Amino acid sequence: MNHTPQEQLVTGAIASGMLGCGMRLPDSTCLSYSFNELYPREYLERILHQLAGIMNLLAGHGLAPHRLVWTFEQGQIFLITRSDGALLALATQPHTEAAENVDQLAEEFFSLASGS
Amino acid sequence: MNTPAKQYQLLFVDDDGDFLTMIRDFFASLGEKSWHICCASSADQALELLKTHKVDLVVSDVNMPMLDGIQFLHILNRSHPDLKKAVITANATEEKRSACLAEGAELFIEKPRSPEGLKSIFIMLEELITWTPREGFQGVLRRVGLQDVIQMECLGRNSSVLEIHNQQLRGRIYIEEGRIIHARAGTEAGENAFYRLLSLPSGEFQLHPFELPSHRTIEGQWEFLLMEAARVRDETAFQTAAAVSAPKSEPGPMIEGSTTAFHLAARVEETLICSGQGDPLYAWQCPDAPARVSLLQNVAQQAVSLGRLVPLGNFDRLEIQLAGSRAVAQVKSDRMVFVRVSTGGETNATPSR
Repeated sequence: MNHTPQEQLVTGAIASGMLGCGMRLPDSTCLSYSFNELYPREYLERILHQLAGIMNLLAGHGLAPHRLVWTFEQGQIFLITRSDGALLALATQPHTEAAENVDQLAEEFFSLASGS
Repeated sequence: MNTPAKQYQLLFVDDDGDFLTMIRDFFASLGEKSWHICCASSADQALELLKTHKVDLVVSDVNMPMLDGIQFLHILNRSHPDLKKAVITANATEEKRSACLAEGAELFIEKPRSPEGLKSIFIMLEELITWTPREGFQGVLRRVGLQDVIQMECLGRNSSVLEIHNQQLRGRIYIEEGRIIHARAGTEAGENAFYRLLSLPSGEFQLHPFELPSHRTIEGQWEFLLMEAARVRDETAFQTAAAVSAPKSEPGPMIEGSTTAFHLAARVEETLICSGQGDPLYAWQCPDAPARVSLLQNVAQQAVSLGRLVPLGNFDRLEIQLAGSRAVAQVKSDRMVFVRVSTGGETNATPSR
């Protein structure tokens, strides 16, 4: 079965401490993959939609972030935004390989837009 | 010569006998000789067992008749404070999760529905049981801000000694029951030493158990000490920038530590501190405080909503990375903080596209 580059990024994000990965495309469709049964896919997709709403909320406050990091006691949710409206969300455990890899995944996410 | 592997003693407490049998069979095979599993069908039976058996980890159900898992954890906290504790339940709710973690459980796990789930739980428990807590901890300022650690210690009303050092300077900050009472940096002591330590652009720290200092040199509230430290650090960065740009024949002021372009460029641009109810307590260069309060309240609501979807524990903060600046919104039950810092000179940030 052939996967799109977006699907490959989402499903290939596995690393120690990665809980889940999701991408919201400009047309509002979502791709997501759970690496931990406590973080089911449907919840990751709800998070993605919620985070998209938060981006609008922040814009209303004059803030246009390129990245948000929600830090909780036992994990972090990273949201990376792209100029075409696509969003990449990563749920990781803190101080893990997954948290360290966020920048690299962000670069891959950006390169998908530029087609390189 | 091979050293015999340590055998860990685990006690599972659950009123569901079938679950205990499954756990015993499955985990005994996975743990081979390193796990010795005891089972108890009630909290009181477990407490009896603990009187005669040395146990490394207790894994308890929550919903049990007579004495439930949360009460059981509460008793264990008093009777066996050093015992590692985990909770496993078929009916995981955020309320139960918070209650269990507040009572000292280190893991809160939903009962598995598949062999893969059981294996995941085995791995988590194995991690927990083999983890050895140390007195104090250490970190690097690059990853965890010194201010964050001090704030954490003060908010938690902890007592500790924070030892900080880099190649040029070594110092200590004494925190007693959440109050900063003394600081020493090189030959300096008191608030100036505190500000000097917090102005270090890089270094390492270790958090040690509290010991009484020889003097008490600081009396102010920690919130204002941290605010003042941020102001001093900012000022120091500008002095250093001026020194760097000054002609070489005119040496600038001596500043401890090396200063990178990032640190020269970083500058606090806006600060707001308000109560948990949203009443502003302190605002600095905040053009529209009510709007920032509203933002903090929105962040708090969204964090609760996110926390309902994924079990990540209590919310700490939201970092908002913008082109040329970075903002942090921290939401606690008793206060909310918004700080925005310019990062104009930062060159290694992921670009906004």
